[in-house]
Amino acid sequence: MTDLFANLWLGFSVAAHPYNIGFCLLGALVGTLVGVLPGIGTVATVAMLLPITFGLPPVGALIMLAGIYYGAQYGGSTTSVLVNIPGEATSVVTCLDGHQMARQGRAGAALSIAAIASFFAGCVATVLVAALGAPLTSVALLFGPAEYFALMVLGLIFAVVLAKGSVLKAMAMILTGLLLSMIGSDLETGAGRMTFDLPELSDGIGFANVAMGVFGFAEIIRNLEISQESRDIVQSKIKGLMPTRQDLVDASGAIARGTILGSLLGILPGGGAVVASFAAYTFEKRVSKHPERFGTGVIEGVAAPEAANNAAAQTSFIPLLTLGIPPNAVMALMVGAMTIHGIIPGPQVMTKQPELFWGMIASMWLGNLMLVIINLPLVGVWVSLLRVPYRLLYPSIIVFCCIGIYSINNSPTDVVIAAMFGLFGYWLIKHDFEPAPLVLAFVLGPLMEENLRRAMLIARGDATVFVTRPISAGLILVALVLLVIAALPMIRKRRDEVFVE
Amino acid sequence: MPDDAKSSPRGGGFQFKVRGPRDFYGGLVLIALAIVAIWASGDLPGQAGFAFGPGTAPRMFATLLAIFGALVALTGLFMDGPPIEKYALKGPAYVVGAIVLFALLIRGASLDYIGVPVQLPALGLVPSTFIAFMVSIMGSSEMRWIESLLAAVAMTIFCVVLFVYLLQLPFQLWPWV
Repeated sequence: MTDLFANLWLGFSVAAHPYNIGFCLLGALVGTLVGVLPGIGTVATVAMLLPITFGLPPVGALIMLAGIYYGAQYGGSTTSVLVNIPGEATSVVTCLDGHQMARQGRAGAALSIAAIASFFAGCVATVLVAALGAPLTSVALLFGPAEYFALMVLGLIFAVVLAKGSVLKAMAMILTGLLLSMIGSDLETGAGRMTFDLPELSDGIGFANVAMGVFGFAEIIRNLEISQESRDIVQSKIKGLMPTRQDLVDASGAIARGTILGSLLGILPGGGAVVASFAAYTFEKRVSKHPERFGTGVIEGVAAPEAANNAAAQTSFIPLLTLGIPPNAVMALMVGAMTIHGIIPGPQVMTKQPELFWGMIASMWLGNLMLVIINLPLVGVWVSLLRVPYRLLYPSIIVFCCIGIYSINNSPTDVVIAAMFGLFGYWLIKHDFEPAPLVLAFVLGPLMEENLRRAMLIARGDATVFVTRPISAGLILVALVLLVIAALPMIRKRRDEVFVE
Repeated sequence: MPDDAKSSPRGGGFQFKVRGPRDFYGGLVLIALAIVAIWASGDLPGQAGFAFGPGTAPRMFATLLAIFGALVALTGLFMDGPPIEKYALKGPAYVVGAIVLFALLIRGASLDYIGVPVQLPALGLVPSTFIAFMVSIMGSSEMRWIESLLAAVAMTIFCVVLFVYLLQLPFQLWPWV
């Protein structure tokens, strides 16, 4: 316990460094900005801003990227409440009751409850990350290649189970991602694989190119098809930011339940903030004494999903920081960022670079505090941003991405590759394929192959090693059970319902 | 639309109506992708003794992809699904065009290897950004000239300030510097 405090103290001393506070604030602001703007998702933003962080010191870069991520969760809720447009997928459910509250003139209460719920969830999640970090890291040290491989299989299966739509298609996306990750030089022999003798492909496809293509460019191309109808902004002045005592009492239970649910779903690989917010809303409706009132502007319907998405956004750092395994696409981008700074995510981060590990955790708490302080007074500014028409927004995003990708390696080819992935992503959208599992698999691919090969070599080519070592067998078993459950038609239906709602 | 698929008259012979075209054609493309991958990794050495060769994993995953692609295509064949949405041409063409133009102009490029004997000059960051912005904005049906030009200038200035002055990344700014 004293260790925990000593570590947190170290973390705060790192996070409180003026530079790092600056990066944290910048990240939180940019995240909110992006969260507010519909049409640019969190993944796309983190991908877009990845190149910018390359020049920064590693701690600052990661603090800023983390800030963008949870800042976006806050920003998304603002537009959900005021405009009925979810800025982020994570705040889709917040629209249901949040916008109704705004129509009844209670926008201020809805926004502040969303902020309070997020802040509370953020605090709990920060402590959770700090507390679980050390024990999980020691578990990770028991892992050999077989266990790592099994764990990654489990992570990918989680991504399949929790992706919306068909299980088969999500599996196909995972395999496509794995295959794409194998383009380039072989790790062991250096042989060029599937490079078609193009020298540009000999180093493989850059992760930022894929992410920016399928999330950034593809989304833009897609959005251009949808005519931009005028947005119905709640014009009246927002009065009374503070919620009433009754509001707080009503919301407290929902906040607590949302936080717990969100924290759990965040840790699970493949989960993350989107699933957490949906699950929390559904759960809240189920335990409520008056479920029929949901959707008419009840405060629990705002508090629970907002607490859940923020908690999940933060606890999803746990598998990344302790095991080195990204549980969702944003965390996959964080892996990309860490690798570029020469940090290999995994248990060794905590022992070898404690100031990075704890500094990041402490910065999450500081970032959440800043968000509460900056967000509520700035609501008016954020809303006025919505008046920037999309026709001016998207070319800006495009040139910004182009410069960003180019600056990573000073390579024009990378920019062209990203454009091709943009078209590929557009095709995926047209055929209802989810890009998130693809990107996750793309990041995990090299790690997975390396561990698979090592495990097979150690076991002298005996593939049963994955089921004879107990930890690995357990992980594989869980993965199989999950897959079977997801494929069962009855549960599939329920799952779809959750997403439809 | 699904009604149409259900009541589809089975014509003579083995005419088969594709019930879920999105899945069906999606699956077919994935199979094609898998075949390309198997072909492209065909020259790589496979398993040697206990050790995987460089070609083992790509062929393994490509085969699995082919299987799953086939399963997706089969669901599309037998289960009702939504029709394929129309592909837009204008938006993608301008967006991709803008990105590719940026890539070609920022450092200059020779178009020799697509058979056009043209050498594009290296324009540097400022003109490339401006041009990419203007080309991409033409993909929108609501484009207005004056507003667009102003926005392009503003965005170019913003990018130069951010990337060159604040982040200190090495960029050639103009064709002559």
